[in-house]
Formats: sequence, C-alpha cells, structure tokens
Amino acid sequence: MSVPGDASAGRAAIPAIAVASLYQEYLVTRQTGRAVRDGIERLFADRCGESLAVIDFRDVVVIDFSCADEVVAKLVMGFGEDQDASGNLFILVRGVRDDHMDPVEGALRRRGLAVAAERTSGEPVLLGDVDPDAGEAWRMLCACGRIRSHELAQMLGLEAGSCDRLLADLYRRRLVRRCGDAFESLSFAASAADDRSPPQELQGDDGHAPNDG
Amino acid sequence: MSRVIDVPEVLDHRGFEELVRSLPAAEDAAGARILFNAKHVRWVSPYGLIGLLAVGQVARERTGLSPRIEAPETREVRTYLDRMDFWQSAHEVFDLEPGATRSHGASDALLEITPIRSHHDVHAVVERVRERSAAILENHLHYPKPSVIQFSVMLSEVCQNIIEHAETVGWVCAQTYNYRERLGREVLMLAVMDVGVGFEGSLASEHARRFGESWSAATALEAALLFGESRFRDPGRGQGLQAIRKQVEKWDGMLAIRSGDAQIALVPDWDDYPPMQRSLPAFPGAQILIVMPARTVKAR
Repeated sequence: MSVPGDASAGRAAIPAIAVASLYQEYLVTRQTGRAVRDGIERLFADRCGESLAVIDFRDVVVIDFSCADEVVAKLVMGFGEDQDASGNLFILVRGVRDDHMDPVEGALRRRGLAVAAERTSGEPVLLGDVDPDAGEAWRMLCACGRIRSHELAQMLGLEAGSCDRLLADLYRRRLVRRCGDAFESLSFAASAADDRSPPQELQGDDGHAPNDG
Repeated sequence: MSRVIDVPEVLDHRGFEELVRSLPAAEDAAGARILFNAKHVRWVSPYGLIGLLAVGQVARERTGLSPRIEAPETREVRTYLDRMDFWQSAHEVFDLEPGATRSHGASDALLEITPIRSHHDVHAVVERVRERSAAILENHLHYPKPSVIQFSVMLSEVCQNIIEHAETVGWVCAQTYNYRERLGREVLMLAVMDVGVGFEGSLASEHARRFGESWSAATALEAALLFGESRFRDPGRGQGLQAIRKQVEKWDGMLAIRSGDAQIALVPDWDDYPPMQRSLPAFPGAQILIVMPARTVKAR
C-alpha cells in the first residue's frame, strides 16, 4: 500500500496548478456562470502538459442550479472527461459546503458528469454521477493518496482486472491522476504541488474573479 | 372615453382571474383608455398585487394607451401598496397622477415588488433578501437554517425564468401573512409574473411537433414542470423549475404556474387547488405562485 508522500508508488511530474478563487458570494444566473467559466478557461487555454484547476468555493454563499451548470458542469464537460492525451486538465473543487452540494450535484448528474471535490474540512467528496463501486475505489484512493491498482484491489477485495477497469474509468473521467504505474487523488496532487510552489491565482483586473456581464 | 374594470375586493389569485376575465370586454372599445377601479379593494395578496400590474401592462400593450387606476380607499390597503413599492412599478404601467409614486420608508415585506429585466436584477434580489429571509424563515416560520440559502436558490431560479423565457419585463415580490382561510398559520407567499411569450410559446420550437395536435399551454406546462423540458436541447437546461418543484415539495408548500389558458399546480394536503386547469381565459406570459407554510414546532 502506498501512503501520501510515499515515493515508491509511481513517479510523475507534479502538474501545473492554477487556483480559481471565486471571490463572489453570489454565484447566481447563467450569465454570471458563463463569465466565471470563461475566466477559468482563459487561464488554461495556452497550457500544455498536465494541469490541475483548483476551483475554490470557500467564499461562495449561494450558488444556484443554473450557475452550477455553467461553472462546474460545463467546465467538466469541456475540460474534464474524455480528453485526448494532449489535453490533460484535471479539476478539483475545494471548499464545498452542504449548501453547494445540491446545485453542483444536480447540474453534474443531469449531464452524467462527476467532479472531484473537497469539503471545507478537506474531506474528499465525489460529486455527480458515479457508480457505487467506482465511488468506493475513489474514496479509498483518496485515503491513500497514491496507490497501485493491484494494491487497491487487495484493499477493496476486488479482482485485479475489475480494479484496473475502475481506475481506468476514473482516469478517463479525470477524477484521478496517473503517476507511472500508480494512481493519485487530485487532493494529493494539489497538496504536493502546494508544497513545491505557490499556485497561480485566477483574478480579474480589480483583484476579484471575473464578474458577470 | 374610458372603459372601467372593477378590481375585485379581494385581490388574490381568484381576484386575478376575475381581472383577466374582464379584460377582453374592456379592450373591445376601440380607442378607449381602460380605468382600473381599485377603490373598493379591501385585501390584496402579493400575487394579486403584481397581477394588477400584469393585467395593466397587457391592457397597455393591447390598447396602445396607458390605463388609469383609481387607488384603493381603504387606508390599510393603501399603506400596504405603499410599503410594497407598488406605485414605483405602477408608474411604468399606468397613467398616474403626478406625485402618485410614493415611497414607503421601512417595510416589513420580505421582498417589495421588484422589476426583473436582466440578470443584474436577479443578483440584486437574491442579495437583498438574504438578511430578511434569515429572520423571517428561521424566526417567524421556524424553517431550519439551510432553508435560507435554499430559498435564495429558489428565488434566483424563479426570477431567471423571466429572463430566460419571457423576453420582457417581469415582477417579483414576497410577503408573509396569516393564511387563516386554509391553514390557520403563517405562510410565505412568493409571486413572480411576466407577460411575455409564456411556456407554450417558449417551448414550441423544440417540442410542439412531438406533441402534434395535443400541444397546448397545458402540455407545455407539464413538459416543463413534470419532465424538466426546456426550449433548449441542452440537457443542462430546464433544471431550475425541477429544483423549485423538489424544494417546494420538501417544504410541503404549494406551487402553481399559470401560462396561456392553463395552470398547473403541485398541491399539498392542506390545499384543494386543482392540479391542472385548462380553458382558463388566455393571458400572456407566466404567473407563478409559491406558498410556503410555517412549520409547526413538532415538524421542526
């Protein structure tokens, strides 16, 4: 079994991290959502190689379903799942509170999507449309940080082939990261990168996240 | 020359229907300015209040003349109209005497009548009600703390319905009052109206062909409220109304949406509203009524 910080389980370059802090208390309306998403997309437009977009919800008081669809679901749809090898962008939503869950989950489920997230306490939570076995594998991977497939299979009591398929599907949906012969949770990747260098922060000209309009 | 429409003494959802029924006859007189005689109004609900604006707006559009309005004589009703900022919005609909646009000072309403023209207005409304809704929902109606945010989300989605589908101005207002008639306890009433294209018109391009001859305002309302359909093919659209429906059901509330000549309603045990009404007098746009009852201490 591998634990966070265990260098023996796979080695991979730490992805470029950009933190999109949503400095708006009220993420409501589609127009606002579109403006916020545009800002995040611009940040990643010219990037190559692996990147991790950390979307920070800590300041968000209200997010409605329409805005959640524009900011989270469409971002995952555009950048998250089923990318080709040249477009390795992962998304991690941080600072999620109970109030955010319904709109974000609802928006993702309607499109059959999912996103890796952390509650304000740091507890990992998978939001959206994921089958229970994949969800369990994801949670165990998060608990370990980084782990090889056969080790995870052992922990979950699964056949190696089944675990391979679950992890391959989680990777295809960009809910976990590949590190050589191991897999890594996005929270682990973000923490490791935080330790190396301060992340680039997404801000508008006035020091705030792009506003609506 | 004026044609007079008498505003019902009780101006609630039923009073609104009376107003809608009386509109065509008044319009028939070519070149006649319509006068809404509200002198005898003695009780107004939030729905009736913005319903009067909506009917006035339709009269204005159809006759090409700003209608006139006689203010209620009852002091309580006049004060209520002042407190709810009725005259500020009425100024854009009715031909008012100079000085009729009165400001109210402090108001105990959750949300005074607010025009919705753009998403900026939706932002303003959601931000404005946050503190007030916390006080009213938690202390007055005994709702749990998370309901304050859930109410903000519902308010945002219901107001966006105007921007997304109406293609014209709409109004929203919310107020608590004692709903003795049905419940014997306090309720929060949220009313949202526009006189735009309505559900049938909004959904027609995407869904009418599939329904064939059965396509109507009623089927459009069912498609939107019960099945989450929208005018877009995008599966992410149409979830606002679904979210509102689920939230209202969770709160044991009542939701009614009138559009065209139909009205669909989610009816709790405590009410006897018909779940679907067809062949109502046609009226443009959409008129939404949400009633959230106070929770008993036991239900908490």
